[in-house]
Amino acid sequence: MFQRFRPLWGKRPHLNSSYDAVIIGGGLHSLATAYFLAKEQGMSNVAVIEQRFIGFGGAGRNTAIVRANQRTQENVPLYKEALELWPILTKELDYNLMFNNCGNLNLMHSEAAMNAARMNVCTAQFHGVESHLLDPKQLKEVEPTINTSPDITYPVHGAMFHPPGGVIRHDAVVWGLAKGAARHGVHIHQQTEATAILTDGGKITGVETTRGRISAPRVLVSAGGYSAGIINRMLGIKLPISVLTIQAMVTQPLKPVLNHVVSSGMYHAYANQTLKGEIATGAHMDPWPNYTTLTTAHYIKHQAEALSEFLPFLRGVKFMRHWAGLADMTPDMAPIMDGNDPIEGFYMNCGWGYFGFKSCTATGRHMAAFMAKGECPERLKPFGLKRYENHRLMGETAALVTYTPDN
Amino acid sequence: MALTISCPVCGKRNGYEFRYGGEDKGPRPDEKGLTPRTWCDYAHMNACVAGVQKEWWCHKNGCGVWFTIHRNTLTNLEVDGPEVTS
Repeated sequence: MFQRFRPLWGKRPHLNSSYDAVIIGGGLHSLATAYFLAKEQGMSNVAVIEQRFIGFGGAGRNTAIVRANQRTQENVPLYKEALELWPILTKELDYNLMFNNCGNLNLMHSEAAMNAARMNVCTAQFHGVESHLLDPKQLKEVEPTINTSPDITYPVHGAMFHPPGGVIRHDAVVWGLAKGAARHGVHIHQQTEATAILTDGGKITGVETTRGRISAPRVLVSAGGYSAGIINRMLGIKLPISVLTIQAMVTQPLKPVLNHVVSSGMYHAYANQTLKGEIATGAHMDPWPNYTTLTTAHYIKHQAEALSEFLPFLRGVKFMRHWAGLADMTPDMAPIMDGNDPIEGFYMNCGWGYFGFKSCTATGRHMAAFMAKGECPERLKPFGLKRYENHRLMGETAALVTYTPDN
Repeated sequence: MALTISCPVCGKRNGYEFRYGGEDKGPRPDEKGLTPRTWCDYAHMNACVAGVQKEWWCHKNGCGVWFTIHRNTLTNLEVDGPEVTS
Protein backbone atom coordinates (compact mmCIF):
# COMPACT_ATOMS: atom_id res chain seq x y z
CA MET A 1 0.00 0.00 0.00
CA PHE A 2 2.85 2.40 0.73
CA GLN A 3 5.01 1.52 -2.23
CA ARG A 4 6.07 4.09 -4.78
CA PHE A 5 3.43 5.08 -7.31
CA ARG A 6 3.82 3.33 -10.62
CA PRO A 7 1.12 3.00 -13.28
CA LEU A 8 -0.36 -0.46 -13.52
CA TRP A 9 0.56 -0.59 -17.19
CA GLY A 10 4.27 -0.05 -16.59
CA LYS A 11 6.72 2.77 -16.87
CA ARG A 12 6.01 5.88 -18.86
CA PRO A 13 7.28 5.10 -22.39
CA HIS A 14 9.48 7.36 -24.49
CA LEU A 15 7.59 9.14 -27.27
CA ASN A 16 9.05 7.75 -30.48
CA SER A 17 9.28 9.83 -33.63
CA SER A 18 7.44 7.20 -35.63
CA TYR A 19 4.84 4.48 -35.06
CA ASP A 20 2.96 2.08 -37.31
CA ALA A 21 -0.28 3.50 -35.99
CA VAL A 22 -1.28 6.41 -33.77
CA ILE A 23 -4.58 6.33 -31.93
CA ILE A 24 -5.96 9.67 -30.76
CA GLY A 25 -7.93 9.35 -27.53
CA GLY A 26 -7.20 7.28 -24.44
CA GLY A 27 -10.59 5.78 -23.83
CA LEU A 28 -11.90 2.26 -24.07
CA HIS A 29 -12.34 2.10 -27.83
CA SER A 30 -8.76 3.31 -28.31
CA LEU A 31 -7.27 0.99 -25.72
CA ALA A 32 -9.23 -1.98 -27.05
CA THR A 33 -8.15 -1.22 -30.62
CA ALA A 34 -4.52 -0.92 -29.51
CA TYR A 35 -4.76 -4.12 -27.50
CA PHE A 36 -6.15 -6.15 -30.39
CA LEU A 37 -3.77 -4.53 -32.91
CA ALA A 38 -0.85 -5.76 -30.82
CA LYS A 39 -2.31 -9.08 -29.75
CA GLU A 40 -4.16 -10.32 -32.81
CA GLN A 41 -2.81 -8.33 -35.75
CA GLY A 42 0.89 -8.39 -34.91
CA MET A 43 1.16 -4.61 -34.93
CA SER A 44 2.65 -3.56 -31.62
CA ASN A 45 4.46 -0.39 -32.67
CA VAL A 46 1.37 1.58 -31.74
CA ALA A 47 0.90 4.78 -29.73
CA VAL A 48 -2.23 5.77 -27.87
CA ILE A 49 -2.14 9.50 -27.24
CA GLU A 50 -4.40 11.06 -24.68
CA GLN A 51 -4.71 14.75 -23.82
CA ARG A 52 -5.53 14.15 -20.14
CA PHE A 53 -5.41 10.68 -18.59
CA ILE A 54 -6.75 7.37 -19.83
CA GLY A 55 -10.39 6.87 -18.95
CA PHE A 56 -10.98 10.61 -18.41
CA GLY A 57 -13.98 10.77 -20.75
CA GLY A 58 -16.88 8.45 -21.34
CA ALA A 59 -14.83 5.43 -20.27
CA GLY A 60 -14.92 6.57 -16.66
CA ARG A 61 -18.27 8.38 -16.68
CA ASN A 62 -20.68 5.81 -18.04
CA THR A 63 -22.94 3.83 -15.73
CA ALA A 64 -21.18 0.57 -16.61
CA ILE A 65 -24.21 -1.18 -18.09
CA VAL A 66 -23.67 -3.82 -20.77
CA ARG A 67 -26.35 -5.42 -22.92
CA ALA A 68 -27.06 -6.74 -26.40
CA ASN A 69 -30.76 -6.01 -26.88
CA GLN A 70 -30.46 -3.28 -29.49
CA ARG A 71 -32.94 -2.89 -32.31
CA THR A 72 -31.33 -3.68 -35.67
CA GLN A 73 -29.71 -6.72 -37.19
CA GLU A 74 -26.49 -4.77 -37.89
CA ASN A 75 -26.10 -3.66 -34.29
CA VAL A 76 -27.16 -6.67 -32.25
CA PRO A 77 -24.35 -9.05 -33.39
CA LEU A 78 -21.71 -6.44 -32.56
CA TYR A 79 -23.00 -5.96 -29.01
CA LYS A 80 -23.47 -9.70 -28.62
CA GLU A 81 -19.83 -10.22 -29.46
CA ALA A 82 -18.87 -7.56 -26.93
CA LEU A 83 -21.00 -9.18 -24.24
CA GLU A 84 -19.39 -12.55 -24.87
CA LEU A 85 -15.90 -11.04 -24.69
CA TRP A 86 -16.10 -9.92 -21.03
CA PRO A 87 -15.45 -13.31 -19.39
CA ILE A 88 -12.78 -14.10 -21.98
CA LEU A 89 -11.01 -10.78 -21.43
CA THR A 90 -11.16 -11.15 -17.66
CA LYS A 91 -8.97 -14.23 -18.06
CA GLU A 92 -6.88 -12.96 -20.94
CA LEU A 93 -6.02 -9.65 -19.26
CA ASP A 94 -5.54 -11.39 -15.93
CA TYR A 95 -7.58 -8.62 -14.38
CA ASN A 96 -10.88 -8.83 -12.57
CA LEU A 97 -13.32 -6.78 -14.61
CA MET A 98 -16.09 -7.52 -12.08
CA PHE A 99 -18.60 -8.60 -14.70
CA ASN A 100 -21.93 -9.07 -13.00
CA ASN A 101 -24.45 -10.39 -15.54
CA CYS A 102 -27.45 -9.62 -13.38
CA GLY A 103 -29.74 -9.08 -16.37
CA ASN A 104 -31.53 -6.04 -17.75
CA LEU A 105 -35.19 -5.18 -17.36
CA ASN A 106 -36.72 -2.61 -19.70
CA LEU A 107 -40.05 -1.49 -18.31
CA MET A 108 -42.93 -0.98 -20.74
CA HIS A 109 -45.70 1.42 -19.85
CA SER A 110 -48.25 0.87 -22.63
CA GLU A 111 -49.48 -1.85 -24.95
CA ALA A 112 -47.80 -0.05 -27.86
CA ALA A 113 -44.52 -0.24 -25.96
CA MET A 114 -45.10 -3.95 -25.34
CA ASN A 115 -45.49 -4.42 -29.11
CA ALA A 116 -42.27 -2.53 -29.77
CA ALA A 117 -40.56 -4.71 -27.15
CA ARG A 118 -41.95 -7.80 -28.86
CA MET A 119 -40.15 -6.80 -32.06
CA ASN A 120 -36.95 -6.10 -30.12
CA VAL A 121 -37.18 -9.52 -28.51
CA CYS A 122 -37.66 -11.14 -31.94
CA THR A 123 -34.51 -9.46 -33.27
CA ALA A 124 -32.55 -10.57 -30.22
CA GLN A 125 -33.78 -14.16 -30.39
CA PHE A 126 -33.07 -14.31 -34.14
CA HIS A 127 -29.45 -13.47 -33.36
CA GLY A 128 -29.27 -15.94 -30.51
CA VAL A 129 -29.41 -13.35 -27.74
CA GLU A 130 -31.52 -14.33 -24.76
CA SER A 131 -34.36 -11.86 -24.38
CA HIS A 132 -38.01 -12.33 -23.56
CA LEU A 133 -41.12 -10.56 -22.35
CA LEU A 134 -42.48 -10.55 -18.83
CA ASP A 135 -46.00 -9.64 -17.77
CA PRO A 136 -46.36 -7.51 -14.60
CA LYS A 137 -46.82 -10.58 -12.38
CA GLN A 138 -43.69 -12.30 -13.70
CA LEU A 139 -41.84 -8.99 -13.44
CA LYS A 140 -42.80 -8.66 -9.78
CA GLU A 141 -41.46 -12.18 -9.15
CA VAL A 142 -38.17 -11.41 -10.90
CA GLU A 143 -37.68 -7.97 -9.36
CA PRO A 144 -39.95 -7.42 -6.33
CA THR A 145 -38.80 -3.82 -5.78
CA ILE A 146 -40.56 -2.56 -8.91
CA ASN A 147 -43.87 -0.80 -8.40
CA THR A 148 -46.40 -2.65 -10.57
CA SER A 149 -49.44 -1.02 -9.00
CA PRO A 150 -51.74 0.85 -11.39
CA ASP A 151 -51.75 4.08 -9.37
CA ILE A 152 -48.52 5.62 -10.66
CA THR A 153 -48.14 8.15 -13.48
CA TYR A 154 -47.08 5.49 -15.99
CA PRO A 155 -48.28 2.07 -14.82
CA VAL A 156 -46.07 -0.85 -15.80
CA HIS A 157 -47.57 -3.12 -18.48
CA GLY A 158 -44.67 -5.54 -18.56
CA ALA A 159 -40.98 -5.68 -19.29
CA MET A 160 -38.35 -6.86 -21.72
CA PHE A 161 -35.99 -9.15 -19.82
CA HIS A 162 -32.45 -9.64 -21.13
CA PRO A 163 -30.70 -12.01 -18.67
CA PRO A 164 -27.15 -12.03 -20.15
CA GLY A 165 -26.68 -8.27 -19.74
CA GLY A 166 -25.58 -6.56 -16.58
CA VAL A 167 -22.88 -4.32 -15.24
CA ILE A 168 -19.11 -4.36 -15.32
CA ARG A 169 -16.59 -2.17 -13.52
CA HIS A 170 -15.70 0.45 -16.15
CA ASP A 171 -12.42 1.60 -14.54
CA ALA A 172 -11.25 -1.99 -14.33
CA VAL A 173 -11.84 -2.33 -18.07
CA VAL A 174 -9.73 0.80 -18.71
CA TRP A 175 -6.89 -0.41 -16.47
CA GLY A 176 -7.09 -4.00 -17.67
CA LEU A 177 -6.95 -3.06 -21.35
CA ALA A 178 -4.16 -0.54 -20.71
CA LYS A 179 -2.19 -3.20 -18.89
CA GLY A 180 -2.86 -5.75 -21.65
CA ALA A 181 -1.97 -3.34 -24.44
CA ALA A 182 1.23 -2.19 -22.71
CA ARG A 183 2.27 -5.79 -22.09
CA HIS A 184 2.05 -6.37 -25.85
CA GLY A 185 4.25 -3.35 -26.54
CA VAL A 186 1.76 -0.52 -27.08
CA HIS A 187 2.91 2.93 -25.90
CA ILE A 188 0.35 4.81 -23.87
CA HIS A 189 1.14 8.52 -23.76
CA GLN A 190 -0.96 10.51 -21.33
CA GLN A 191 -0.94 14.31 -21.20
CA THR A 192 -0.09 14.31 -24.88
CA GLU A 193 -2.50 16.31 -26.96
CA ALA A 194 -2.83 15.88 -30.71
CA THR A 195 -2.75 19.32 -32.29
CA ALA A 196 -2.82 18.38 -35.97
CA ILE A 197 -3.19 15.35 -38.21
CA LEU A 198 -0.66 15.51 -41.02
CA THR A 199 -1.49 14.47 -44.56
CA ASP A 200 0.33 14.54 -47.86
CA GLY A 201 -1.27 13.86 -51.23
CA GLY A 202 -4.39 12.31 -49.70
CA LYS A 203 -2.41 10.09 -47.36
CA ILE A 204 -1.86 10.22 -43.64
CA THR A 205 1.74 11.02 -42.73
CA GLY A 206 1.58 11.60 -39.00
CA VAL A 207 0.34 13.53 -36.02
CA GLU A 208 1.55 16.77 -34.46
CA THR A 209 1.39 16.63 -30.69
CA THR A 210 2.21 18.93 -27.80
CA ARG A 211 5.27 16.74 -27.20
CA GLY A 212 6.50 16.70 -30.77
CA ARG A 213 5.81 15.31 -34.19
CA ILE A 214 5.08 11.62 -34.76
CA SER A 215 5.17 10.13 -38.23
CA ALA A 216 2.74 7.31 -38.89
CA PRO A 217 0.97 5.86 -41.91
CA ARG A 218 -2.24 5.22 -39.96
CA VAL A 219 -4.19 7.43 -37.58
CA LEU A 220 -7.36 6.48 -35.78
CA VAL A 221 -9.50 9.12 -34.11
CA SER A 222 -11.44 7.36 -31.43
CA ALA A 223 -11.82 10.07 -28.82
CA GLY A 224 -15.46 9.57 -27.83
CA GLY A 225 -17.45 12.80 -27.67
CA TYR A 226 -14.44 14.84 -28.73
CA SER A 227 -13.95 12.92 -32.02
CA ALA A 228 -16.29 14.92 -34.26
CA GLY A 229 -14.74 18.24 -33.22
CA ILE A 230 -11.22 16.89 -33.69
CA ILE A 231 -11.97 15.40 -37.11
CA ASN A 232 -13.57 18.62 -38.34
CA ARG A 233 -10.89 20.89 -36.89
CA MET A 234 -7.93 18.85 -38.09
CA LEU A 235 -9.14 17.39 -41.38
CA GLY A 236 -12.16 19.49 -42.33
CA ILE A 237 -14.43 16.43 -42.41
CA LYS A 238 -17.84 17.18 -40.97
CA LEU A 239 -19.80 14.40 -39.33
CA PRO A 240 -23.52 13.96 -38.65
CA ILE A 241 -22.90 14.25 -34.93
CA SER A 242 -24.25 16.39 -32.11
CA VAL A 243 -22.32 16.37 -28.86
CA LEU A 244 -24.56 16.47 -25.80
CA THR A 245 -23.83 16.39 -22.08
CA ILE A 246 -25.40 13.37 -20.38
CA GLN A 247 -25.77 13.10 -16.61
CA ALA A 248 -25.69 10.31 -14.04
CA MET A 249 -25.69 10.05 -10.26
CA VAL A 250 -25.41 7.59 -7.38
CA THR A 251 -27.30 7.35 -4.11
CA GLN A 252 -25.82 6.56 -0.73
CA PRO A 253 -24.92 2.84 -0.40
CA LEU A 254 -27.72 0.44 0.52
CA LYS A 255 -27.81 -3.24 1.39
CA PRO A 256 -28.35 -5.50 -1.67
CA VAL A 257 -31.89 -4.77 -2.80
CA LEU A 258 -32.04 -4.22 -6.55
CA ASN A 259 -31.06 -7.33 -8.49
CA HIS A 260 -31.24 -6.13 -12.09
CA VAL A 261 -30.50 -3.15 -14.27
CA VAL A 262 -33.93 -1.55 -14.51
CA SER A 263 -34.69 1.04 -17.17
CA SER A 264 -37.75 2.91 -18.23
CA GLY A 265 -38.04 4.90 -21.44
CA MET A 266 -41.24 6.55 -20.28
CA TYR A 267 -39.81 7.75 -16.97
CA HIS A 268 -36.59 8.46 -18.81
CA ALA A 269 -34.45 6.86 -16.14
CA TYR A 270 -32.49 3.71 -15.46
CA ALA A 271 -31.02 2.34 -12.26
CA ASN A 272 -28.83 -0.49 -11.04
CA GLN A 273 -27.19 -1.29 -7.76
CA THR A 274 -23.41 -1.30 -7.91
CA LEU A 275 -21.31 -3.86 -6.05
CA LYS A 276 -20.62 -1.12 -3.48
CA GLY A 277 -24.37 -0.84 -2.84
CA GLU A 278 -24.99 2.55 -4.39
CA ILE A 279 -27.89 2.89 -6.80
CA ALA A 280 -26.33 4.23 -10.00
CA THR A 281 -28.88 6.01 -12.10
CA GLY A 282 -29.00 8.26 -15.10
CA ALA A 283 -30.37 9.11 -18.52
CA HIS A 284 -30.87 12.87 -18.81
CA MET A 285 -29.24 14.45 -21.81
CA ASP A 286 -29.06 18.19 -22.34
CA PRO A 287 -31.32 19.00 -25.29
CA TRP A 288 -28.67 21.29 -26.82
CA PRO A 289 -25.11 20.48 -27.88
CA ASN A 290 -22.39 21.45 -25.42
CA TYR A 291 -19.05 20.28 -24.05
CA THR A 292 -19.60 21.49 -20.49
CA THR A 293 -20.09 18.12 -18.71
CA LEU A 294 -21.89 20.11 -16.02
CA THR A 295 -24.78 18.78 -13.97
CA THR A 296 -28.17 20.37 -13.27
CA ALA A 297 -30.59 20.65 -10.37
CA HIS A 298 -33.32 20.24 -13.00
CA TYR A 299 -32.22 16.66 -13.50
CA ILE A 300 -31.82 15.72 -9.81
CA LYS A 301 -35.47 16.68 -9.37
CA HIS A 302 -36.54 14.68 -12.42
CA GLN A 303 -34.62 11.64 -11.28
CA ALA A 304 -35.99 11.78 -7.74
CA GLU A 305 -39.55 12.02 -9.06
CA ALA A 306 -39.13 9.20 -11.56
CA LEU A 307 -37.35 6.76 -9.24
CA SER A 308 -39.71 7.28 -6.34
CA GLU A 309 -42.55 6.18 -8.62
CA PHE A 310 -41.26 3.01 -10.23
CA LEU A 311 -38.73 2.07 -7.53
CA PRO A 312 -40.54 3.34 -4.43
CA PHE A 313 -38.00 1.85 -2.00
CA LEU A 314 -35.73 4.71 -3.02
CA ARG A 315 -38.00 7.36 -1.48
CA GLY A 316 -36.00 9.30 1.06
CA VAL A 317 -32.64 7.86 -0.04
CA LYS A 318 -30.05 10.57 -0.64
CA PHE A 319 -28.07 11.18 -3.80
CA MET A 320 -24.40 11.17 -3.01
CA ARG A 321 -22.57 12.07 -6.23
CA HIS A 322 -23.65 13.51 -9.55
CA TRP A 323 -21.55 13.81 -12.70
CA ALA A 324 -21.79 14.14 -16.45
CA GLY A 325 -20.01 13.12 -19.63
CA LEU A 326 -20.36 13.59 -23.36
CA ALA A 327 -22.50 11.63 -25.78
CA ASP A 328 -21.93 12.08 -29.51
CA MET A 329 -25.32 11.43 -31.04
CA THR A 330 -25.94 10.56 -34.69
CA PRO A 331 -29.32 10.99 -36.43
CA ASP A 332 -29.85 7.22 -36.61
CA MET A 333 -28.55 6.34 -33.13
CA ALA A 334 -25.84 4.12 -34.63
CA PRO A 335 -22.08 4.70 -34.64
CA ILE A 336 -19.78 5.72 -37.48
CA MET A 337 -16.82 3.47 -38.18
CA ASP A 338 -14.96 4.13 -41.38
CA GLY A 339 -11.50 4.32 -42.82
CA ASN A 340 -9.33 5.09 -45.87
CA ASP A 341 -12.00 7.44 -47.19
CA PRO A 342 -11.40 10.19 -48.19
CA ILE A 343 -7.85 10.07 -46.74
CA GLU A 344 -5.77 6.92 -47.00
CA GLY A 345 -4.68 5.76 -43.58
CA PHE A 346 -7.25 7.81 -41.71
CA TYR A 347 -9.70 5.86 -39.57
CA MET A 348 -12.53 7.00 -37.38
CA ASN A 349 -14.64 5.36 -34.72
CA CYS A 350 -17.22 7.71 -33.22
CA GLY A 351 -20.89 8.60 -32.93
CA TRP A 352 -21.43 6.04 -30.21
CA GLY A 353 -23.78 8.27 -28.27
CA TYR A 354 -24.40 6.80 -24.86
CA PHE A 355 -23.67 3.17 -25.80
CA GLY A 356 -19.95 3.26 -26.51
CA PHE A 357 -19.06 1.46 -23.31
CA LYS A 358 -20.95 -1.75 -23.96
CA SER A 359 -19.47 -2.14 -27.44
CA CYS A 360 -15.85 -1.13 -26.86
CA THR A 361 -14.13 -4.52 -26.93
CA ALA A 362 -15.81 -5.98 -30.03
CA THR A 363 -15.42 -2.68 -31.86
CA GLY A 364 -11.75 -2.44 -30.91
CA ARG A 365 -11.19 -5.92 -32.26
CA HIS A 366 -12.80 -5.15 -35.63
CA MET A 367 -11.18 -1.72 -35.90
CA ALA A 368 -7.81 -3.37 -35.27
CA ALA A 369 -8.44 -5.79 -38.15
CA PHE A 370 -9.58 -2.85 -40.31
CA MET A 371 -6.40 -0.87 -39.57
CA ALA A 372 -4.02 -3.79 -39.97
CA LYS A 373 -5.45 -5.12 -43.23
CA GLY A 374 -6.73 -1.83 -44.67
CA GLU A 375 -10.00 -3.51 -45.58
CA CYS A 376 -13.25 -2.97 -43.76
CA PRO A 377 -14.43 -6.13 -41.97
CA GLU A 378 -17.95 -7.31 -42.89
CA ARG A 379 -19.29 -6.53 -39.45
CA LEU A 380 -18.34 -2.85 -39.71
CA LYS A 381 -19.43 -2.28 -43.33
CA PRO A 382 -22.96 -1.09 -42.48
CA PHE A 383 -21.53 1.64 -40.22
CA GLY A 384 -19.74 3.67 -42.91
CA LEU A 385 -20.12 7.43 -43.13
CA LYS A 386 -21.50 7.25 -46.68
CA ARG A 387 -24.77 5.79 -45.39
CA TYR A 388 -26.05 9.28 -44.61
CA GLU A 389 -25.39 10.54 -48.11
CA ASN A 390 -27.01 7.41 -49.55
CA HIS A 391 -30.06 7.78 -47.32
CA ARG A 392 -29.36 4.42 -45.72
CA LEU A 393 -29.82 5.52 -42.12
CA MET A 394 -30.13 2.66 -39.67
CA GLY A 395 -33.33 1.73 -37.91
CA GLU A 396 -31.76 1.99 -34.49
CA THR A 397 -33.97 5.05 -33.85
CA ALA A 398 -36.72 2.49 -33.26
CA ALA A 399 -34.91 1.44 -30.08
CA LEU A 400 -36.78 2.07 -26.88
CA VAL A 401 -35.46 5.51 -26.06
CA THR A 402 -34.32 7.86 -28.77
CA TYR A 403 -32.97 11.29 -28.52
CA THR A 404 -30.94 13.69 -30.53
CA PRO A 405 -31.12 17.46 -30.38
CA ASP A 406 -33.20 17.21 -33.56
CA ASN A 407 -36.31 15.64 -32.13
CA MET B 1 -26.27 22.62 -17.78
CA ALA B 2 -28.64 25.46 -17.24
CA LEU B 3 -28.83 27.86 -20.12
CA THR B 4 -30.42 31.28 -20.60
CA ILE B 5 -31.35 32.38 -24.08
CA SER B 6 -32.33 35.81 -25.34
CA CYS B 7 -35.49 35.58 -27.39
CA PRO B 8 -35.78 38.60 -29.71
CA VAL B 9 -39.42 38.95 -28.66
CA CYS B 10 -39.57 37.83 -25.01
CA GLY B 11 -36.05 38.65 -23.80
CA LYS B 12 -33.90 36.46 -21.55
CA ARG B 13 -35.65 33.18 -20.71
CA ASN B 14 -34.79 29.72 -19.34
CA GLY B 15 -33.24 27.49 -22.02
CA TYR B 16 -35.71 24.68 -21.39
CA GLU B 17 -38.44 26.87 -22.97
CA PHE B 18 -36.59 26.64 -26.27
CA ARG B 19 -35.97 24.00 -28.90
CA TYR B 20 -32.49 23.80 -30.37
CA GLY B 21 -32.66 24.09 -34.15
CA GLY B 22 -29.17 23.08 -35.20
CA GLU B 23 -25.98 24.81 -36.24
CA ASP B 24 -26.38 27.67 -38.68
CA LYS B 25 -25.47 26.25 -42.09
CA GLY B 26 -26.51 29.19 -44.24
CA PRO B 27 -29.43 29.15 -46.68
CA ARG B 28 -31.05 25.89 -47.79
CA PRO B 29 -29.24 24.68 -50.93
CA ASP B 30 -30.87 25.34 -54.27
CA GLU B 31 -32.96 22.42 -55.61
CA LYS B 32 -31.35 22.93 -58.99
CA GLY B 33 -28.29 20.71 -59.32
CA LEU B 34 -28.72 19.43 -55.77
CA THR B 35 -26.62 16.31 -55.16
CA PRO B 36 -27.08 13.78 -52.34
CA ARG B 37 -23.75 15.03 -50.97
CA THR B 38 -24.79 18.70 -50.72
CA TRP B 39 -28.16 17.75 -49.26
CA CYS B 40 -26.52 15.46 -46.73
CA ASP B 41 -24.10 18.23 -45.76
CA TYR B 42 -27.00 20.58 -45.19
CA ALA B 43 -29.30 18.11 -43.45
CA HIS B 44 -26.91 16.12 -41.27
CA MET B 45 -23.34 17.36 -41.07
CA ASN B 46 -22.19 19.44 -38.11
CA ALA B 47 -18.98 21.28 -37.25
CA CYS B 48 -19.26 20.30 -33.54
CA VAL B 49 -17.28 23.37 -32.52
CA ALA B 50 -15.87 23.43 -29.02
CA GLY B 51 -16.20 27.19 -28.71
CA VAL B 52 -18.48 29.86 -30.17
CA GLN B 53 -21.00 28.76 -32.77
CA LYS B 54 -23.94 30.41 -34.52
CA GLU B 55 -27.07 28.36 -34.08
CA TRP B 56 -30.83 28.33 -34.53
CA TRP B 57 -33.40 28.26 -31.75
CA CYS B 58 -37.18 28.27 -31.59
CA HIS B 59 -39.02 29.69 -28.60
CA LYS B 60 -41.17 26.55 -28.51
CA ASN B 61 -42.89 27.06 -25.15
CA GLY B 62 -43.19 30.78 -25.69
CA CYS B 63 -43.82 33.05 -28.64
CA GLY B 64 -42.75 30.46 -31.25
CA VAL B 65 -40.23 32.68 -33.07
CA TRP B 66 -37.17 31.23 -34.82
CA PHE B 67 -33.89 33.13 -34.43
CA THR B 68 -30.12 32.70 -34.27
CA ILE B 69 -27.73 33.35 -31.40
CA HIS B 70 -24.01 32.88 -30.80
CA ARG B 71 -23.22 30.53 -27.92
CA ASN B 72 -20.02 29.14 -26.47
CA THR B 73 -20.47 25.37 -26.33
CA LEU B 74 -17.72 25.08 -23.70
CA THR B 75 -19.51 27.31 -21.18
CA ASN B 76 -23.12 27.31 -22.41
CA LEU B 77 -23.08 31.10 -22.30
CA GLU B 78 -24.63 33.24 -24.96
CA VAL B 79 -22.13 35.66 -26.50
CA ASP B 80 -22.56 38.80 -28.59
CA GLY B 81 -20.98 37.61 -31.79
CA PRO B 82 -18.53 35.24 -33.40
CA GLU B 83 -15.18 34.66 -31.73
CA VAL B 84 -12.64 37.24 -32.86
CA THR B 85 -9.52 35.55 -34.15
CA SER B 86 -6.76 37.98 -34.96
